[in-house]
Amino acid sequence: MRHRLLSLVICSAQAAIVAPPLGVAGAMSTAASSQAQTSGRVASIRGRIEVLRSVSLVESRPSPGDLGMPRPHDQPDRTTSVVYLESAPAAAFEDRPAGRAQMTQRNETFVPHVLAIRAGATVDFPNEDHTYHNVFSLSKTQRFDLGRYAAGQSKPVRFDRPGIVRVFCDIHSHMSAFVLVFSHRFFDTTEPDGRYEIPAVPPGKYTVIAWNDGAVRDSRAVTVPEQGGAIELDFVIR
Amino acid sequence: MNADGGAYNRIFMTFRSWSALALVALLPCPAGGQALPSEPISLVGGRVTIGGEASLSLSTNPDEAGWFNYTDYKRNALRMVRLGATADVRLGSRLSVLGELRTEGRALCDRRFVCDLQRLELYALYIRVRPWADRAFDIQAGRIPPVFGAFARRNYSGTDNPLIGYPLAYQYLTSLRSDAVPATADDLLRMRARGWRPSFSIGSTADTPGSPIMTAFRWDTGVQMHWGSEPLEVSGSVTTGTLSEPHVQDNNGGKQIAARVAWHPAVGLVLGVSGAHGPYVAASVTRVLPPDVPRADFSQQAFGFDAEYSRGYWLVRSEGIISEWRLPAVRAPLIRHALRASSISVEGQYKIRPGLFGAGRYDYLGFSNLPGSTETRQWDAPVTRLEAGGGYYVMRNLIAKVTYQHDWRDGGRARSLSVWSGQLQFWF
Repeated sequence: MRHRLLSLVICSAQAAIVAPPLGVAGAMSTAASSQAQTSGRVASIRGRIEVLRSVSLVESRPSPGDLGMPRPHDQPDRTTSVVYLESAPAAAFEDRPAGRAQMTQRNETFVPHVLAIRAGATVDFPNEDHTYHNVFSLSKTQRFDLGRYAAGQSKPVRFDRPGIVRVFCDIHSHMSAFVLVFSHRFFDTTEPDGRYEIPAVPPGKYTVIAWNDGAVRDSRAVTVPEQGGAIELDFVIR
Repeated sequence: MNADGGAYNRIFMTFRSWSALALVALLPCPAGGQALPSEPISLVGGRVTIGGEASLSLSTNPDEAGWFNYTDYKRNALRMVRLGATADVRLGSRLSVLGELRTEGRALCDRRFVCDLQRLELYALYIRVRPWADRAFDIQAGRIPPVFGAFARRNYSGTDNPLIGYPLAYQYLTSLRSDAVPATADDLLRMRARGWRPSFSIGSTADTPGSPIMTAFRWDTGVQMHWGSEPLEVSGSVTTGTLSEPHVQDNNGGKQIAARVAWHPAVGLVLGVSGAHGPYVAASVTRVLPPDVPRADFSQQAFGFDAEYSRGYWLVRSEGIISEWRLPAVRAPLIRHALRASSISVEGQYKIRPGLFGAGRYDYLGFSNLPGSTETRQWDAPVTRLEAGGGYYVMRNLIAKVTYQHDWRDGGRARSLSVWSGQLQFWF
């Protein structure tokens, strides 16, 4: 059985998820967790993330070459966060349902600004604007370029490798978004009120990561007891 | 220049050279990437936005015999260091002030790197007003972008030239000057292919380069209006200079009127037509003309078209300009008719894979015939340019480009040029 550790490494303004092999201690821990999971005793880790750090507005590059006011564009929701387990039980890597998600280009903004998916999932990038967009990424995890396509059209990208993929538009430099690709299912994206829930976590010791706007902002150690239940874990990101 | 001044300049230039070198050296370094901004700096709750650009271009051939790529006597578009900062200050929802500070200099890399950045220049500074909130109508006043054509505005963002060289119409120096004019047709014909330093008997005797059809390196001063958005845009301007010779201060008491209509019939397709007319010859020249020379409209008049189509991984552009200059007819053989220059360029870009693209451009610049005392020839030497190359995005806002350019010219000491160029360009 192949085990993986999911950890985040921030490097040169772009983040990448690396998956080195587990050590002995980690393997024993996940083996125990596997037994607990099959016996049905699981817990949910839930809580709320409050983003207090100042989030600057996303502005276009000043372009003195324009003949008039630039078109107004929407602002991305940069308070959306992702909570995930740094390491996951071994069984979590075996189940890989092929999912599908969507990241829309609307009013020169990617909606949602942050998308968390399982590896192997496909993301559709529909264009709902009246102008061309050109979605691309130069991330090490996945490089792609969808070319220019017009309103009403959509192009898919399948994300097979875990990691963080920074997405841009080649025509509108102020457009950017994140796709976080996980090799397990123990993650959740926060709701508008900041709430999240990672369900069905087997007993064991974990590190819970709070990620926001391109970086890991906080991490906590959590122990899920043998009897299962719900664990409340709040984060404040300053 | 005295000895002290020379020493001061040497020290200052060395300082500036090393400053530029240090900045450029930072660019390709991944560790340095963390310190460099990746998006514009937003201040005062988004009311002030600051962007920047740095580029370094180097070439294998100094081009000092043909002067094909020179933008004036000193600066070669293929051997240039450029540092620039742009700012957008929003004073209200319908009022902004935009500006750009820029410095350029030669980049030489023979035995040691030399970079003599010129003083900081204010390339753009204007106020933008939208009088009615619900109408796409804007007024811009100050040192404003040109409404004529497409390349000069597009290139200003710093990242929308897929090659390193410029289209001939926007950079190549013809043998015409606004501050000095030929007395005869023979005087002008003698200056064929000497646009880097033409000299004439009437007007200034200073060493000044000739004029391109339309310069992409300076902006004019005046007022500009823009109406509409897709599918139809109309722009017009009144400025102090002309396409060839933009000015901050008026030098002949006349104003240029320019206009452009752009039509977007489908997403990805833009068709534009432009026109401009304005007095070209400086008042310092007309003042010294012999009294029997008729004072006519010594103007530059131009008509242009531009087209752009993009789809998928392709981007194709074309632009054509016909420009006419009317000069004084002083002595025989007279320059009786307007001097015409015609240019056409076709440019294509294709994305080969994520972060990697190839591009090419064909350019031609021709001139009308001028009868001299012994023969009739084109008044300047026609030029053809082919440039092809590619670019790689090291980061989203750091591009490395390599191009090969070949120029042919029917005249001058050097009749052709083959040159490889490389460019690093960073922006935020």
